[in-house]
Amino acid sequence: MILTLAIHTVREAIRKKIPHILISLGAIVLAISPFISTTHEPDALPKIMLTVFFQAVALLCVTGIILFSAVSLPHDIENKTIFSILSKPVSQFKFVAGRTLGFALLAAFILVALGLVNIISVFFASAHLPPEHRGIFKARKEFGAHHFHIQGKIHHEKEGIRWVMGGREGIAIWHFSHLHEKAKNIPPFEVELRLKLDSSRNVADTIPLSIGIEGIQSKENKTELVSAKADETVTLGIPPEIIRKNNDIKITVFPTLTADYIGTAHNTIKVFSIQKGFVFNYAKALAITFLKFLLIIAIAVMGSAYLSAFVSILSAFAVFLCGHLLDFIKDFSLLLHHSGAHEHGLPGMIKKPSGFMIYMDYFFKKPLEWISFILPDFKKFDILSYLLKGIDIPIETIGFSAGYTVLYVAICTLISYILLKKREFF
Amino acid sequence: MNSLAVKTEGLTKVYKDFWKRKSVSALTNLNLEIKHGEIFGLLGPNGSGKTTTVKLLLGFLHPTRGKSWLLDEPSGHVKTKNKIGFLPEESYLYKFLTAEEILDFYGKLFNLSRKERQKRIDELIHIVGLHPYRKRLLSKYSKGMLRRIGLAQAIINDPELIILDEPTSGLDPLGRREIKELIRTLNQQGKTILLSSHLLSDVQSICNRIAILNNGVLQVTGKVNELLSRSDVTEFLVKNLSDSDLESVKEFIRGKNGEVISMHPHLSTLEELFVNIIQHRK
Repeated sequence: MILTLAIHTVREAIRKKIPHILISLGAIVLAISPFISTTHEPDALPKIMLTVFFQAVALLCVTGIILFSAVSLPHDIENKTIFSILSKPVSQFKFVAGRTLGFALLAAFILVALGLVNIISVFFASAHLPPEHRGIFKARKEFGAHHFHIQGKIHHEKEGIRWVMGGREGIAIWHFSHLHEKAKNIPPFEVELRLKLDSSRNVADTIPLSIGIEGIQSKENKTELVSAKADETVTLGIPPEIIRKNNDIKITVFPTLTADYIGTAHNTIKVFSIQKGFVFNYAKALAITFLKFLLIIAIAVMGSAYLSAFVSILSAFAVFLCGHLLDFIKDFSLLLHHSGAHEHGLPGMIKKPSGFMIYMDYFFKKPLEWISFILPDFKKFDILSYLLKGIDIPIETIGFSAGYTVLYVAICTLISYILLKKREFF
Repeated sequence: MNSLAVKTEGLTKVYKDFWKRKSVSALTNLNLEIKHGEIFGLLGPNGSGKTTTVKLLLGFLHPTRGKSWLLDEPSGHVKTKNKIGFLPEESYLYKFLTAEEILDFYGKLFNLSRKERQKRIDELIHIVGLHPYRKRLLSKYSKGMLRRIGLAQAIINDPELIILDEPTSGLDPLGRREIKELIRTLNQQGKTILLSSHLLSDVQSICNRIAILNNGVLQVTGKVNELLSRSDVTEFLVKNLSDSDLESVKEFIRGKNGEVISMHPHLSTLEELFVNIIQHRK
């Protein structure tokens, strides 16, 4: 029954040419993306293609899906076609669930179609890139350091960054553990350093660094001298023999010259195991984007169970927008509560309590807190950075997104059912 | 519970505005009982509460007071709808589908098997006379054709109880006659029919019992023949009498202290004339 209603919804969309329009518009945006001016980095084109798809095209599709899903139920009520459905053995719950599933199938179809266009374009655009610039095609598993310390002297510490002077004055050391579970089929590993660099030399384009990688169990090690440039990430492969014999490793870094300095923190260095499967990673990104679509569909349907088409469109867009600005809303609520505390970069001048702030606190704090508590956090579905950095999307992220979506969709569907059950059809 | 096809007890509907203030009394204290196998007509002028009654019975509206049952289950009971067919006052159908597709869709909502659906679709499309247009989108259908397909969808599940709200509206006389014939046939198959209409001739010609509503209040209910019959007036319909014979009849009646109210050549109805001409041309 639910599937029948879902298929009916998809058929309605197809007959009204909604997927045709969305796929065509999405394809046009994707076709324009190579002409958007970018940096001169060799891998800029595939990166911009990915960005355009997961930002602009996804937004376009969300807009289309909101318009269709928020309008459909009010149209059924206004055109009274709902009579011919609810006079059949169809409960309000099945009706809402069927409609929601139909919109979800439609969204999945559009996403997969445009995703295919995007992934083929990305492969095509990267065909001639040298291996060192094909980072986006990796799907690396990220390992954070479990321990970080400075051996020797810390030159100074500012804003959580510990600065180390070169010439073995101080050595930054990171420990990584549990890099692999089994001795067989160990993938290649690499280490990525995002150090802050400084130098008292007048002309210093590059800073020579000594980077040592040592296995904790076997004590085997490898040291490399690397010339690092400011604002550039340094990537080094970890010799397979070290990884094969060691599940835990230690990485040491210091500038070789006393005139140079490195700024370090716990998360400055990360180790990655290089998994094959950009396509699989891309599929995971599409799946999370789909979950985001599903969430907004459930919200749009919920609104449309009670509101008119126009108001339900507006409310769905408002929720979508606020869901992306949730950090700001939380921050603002926090700011109204304790004027000294804020985390997300609001101007310091409004930290100071004033009569206006007390007034705001009284009238806006609680509603804002409630809103930030009720609204879905769409930022949890942002996965673009994983693809751009060539990082494997952790299964936990997918699990969390799926759980979060299922919970929201279940609540929204239940509310939609109650609204529709209470509603009268004149 | 009793065993009636439809029952209402003190069914009342008051429409309220946004602030829950009473605005219109659409139906007041309606008590109805419709037995299985009846064709029951709900009559009344526009705004008398006929459609409100139908919507309350199907659970589209919630009663302000009172209760109603369909096939011994409270109104709005989902499973009971498997045994009910409904034709709304206008054919509110999905116009982006063809006749076949819409019947197939509604058939699926009744969980009919593919084979069963196909059989019913073929049957019904023939019954309502839309065979040549079965693959045409409903958006291209005339009002009368929409009415026919609306009726087909109302009986796709071979229901026990059929609720028809203004079934003949928008139909030409030929279409009206066909639909009335279909209603009679369905009734002969044992189905109960609740028919709401303001077209008195339609109701008179096919209903066993009727209820007349006015301003949401039940005015009268009973068998059509009983309500229409007058014990003091007798009507003859005679054939092949000359003028002098007719005069003799008149004299005879006067002789018995009777009064001849009218005596004129029999007129067939305009509907009969229209149907005869059209069918003759076909």
